[in-house]
Amino acid sequence: MTTAPSDRVWEVFRQEDEGDPMVHAGNVNAPDEELAMHYAREFYGRRGESYRLWIVARDAITELGDPDLLKPPFDRSHKKPGGYIIKHKLEAAKARAAAEAGE
Amino acid sequence: MTTAPPELDPTTRDALAELLLTLADDEFVIGFWDSEWTGIAPMLEEDVATSSIAQDEIGHARALYEMLAELTGEDADAIAYGREPEAYRHASLLDHERGDWAATVARRYLYETADAVRLAALATSGHEPLALLAAKMRREETYHLLHAEAWLRRLADSRGDAADRLADAVRRLWPDAQDVFAPLLNEETLVARGVLPTPMRALHAEWVARVRPTLEPVAGDLPQSAPRLDGRERRSDAFRWLHGELTSVARSGAGATW
Repeated sequence: MTTAPSDRVWEVFRQEDEGDPMVHAGNVNAPDEELAMHYAREFYGRRGESYRLWIVARDAITELGDPDLLKPPFDRSHKKPGGYIIKHKLEAAKARAAAEAGE
Repeated sequence: MTTAPPELDPTTRDALAELLLTLADDEFVIGFWDSEWTGIAPMLEEDVATSSIAQDEIGHARALYEMLAELTGEDADAIAYGREPEAYRHASLLDHERGDWAATVARRYLYETADAVRLAALATSGHEPLALLAAKMRREETYHLLHAEAWLRRLADSRGDAADRLADAVRRLWPDAQDVFAPLLNEETLVARGVLPTPMRALHAEWVARVRPTLEPVAGDLPQSAPRLDGRERRSDAFRWLHGELTSVARSGAGATW
């Protein structure tokens, strides 16, 4: 009996144009790197829609999915830029600039 | 088309037309055979890959038929779909039915390697439009060849039923594969004018030297074999069936604009 091709999963990232960020495109099943490359090319590049592909074996990916580390229970708003309210300062600065320009 | 084709004397033009027809028919027919895998290839990803490669081949055929049509004042679709089976000039290798997956892999490997040798020569053709088209086709055919090689190795390395089927298919197709390099009727003219930079005989020798070291460990000793004079005129029942399929839509509305 022949065995079915293994269903190793490869995650594919694509770059639409040179310099663009690599964006996750999807994945393909393939028994090895060589066929994974061919299939990634067919699924995510055959219409000329990609400038570059990265093909990564899913089992080579280090995953971090621990909510304690990523969604800690305490307030983290001070770590976001939005944690500082600058709306009023911005309005005041605009008004000042308008006044100076009007002088 | 950006540039008018260079002026050709009638003898060269007819010889070039014959060459273009053989190239176009090869790509057209293998494209249709391989498209028979759509929906039933060994795995989903391979289904998409094989179908896409088959489409690429038909795209190459289209470009070649269009170049031919421009040369002879005919219509590309009429050339592609309007002939009787006996008027097609693909190599006898492409007259075999699709067969099983191993047969398809064996044929694709034999054809892609032969086509690679042929296109490398044509990319240096003195007839510039043909040289440019051959160079463009090579960019896609490189990938097709890698794909065929990957599968050839995969089946050969399996050492089981798949390897046996592959070996059988290679041995069965080997004699007809030579016919990709069957001599053309007016080949001397093409060589003399630099349209075909290397005679088919020399391209054949180059191809055999290239594939033998890969194929013999897979299929055992392969006989010395030469392209036949009628290697592009041996139409089979399998091809007559395929011809009925591939012309069925065109025949359903003869003369229609699609």
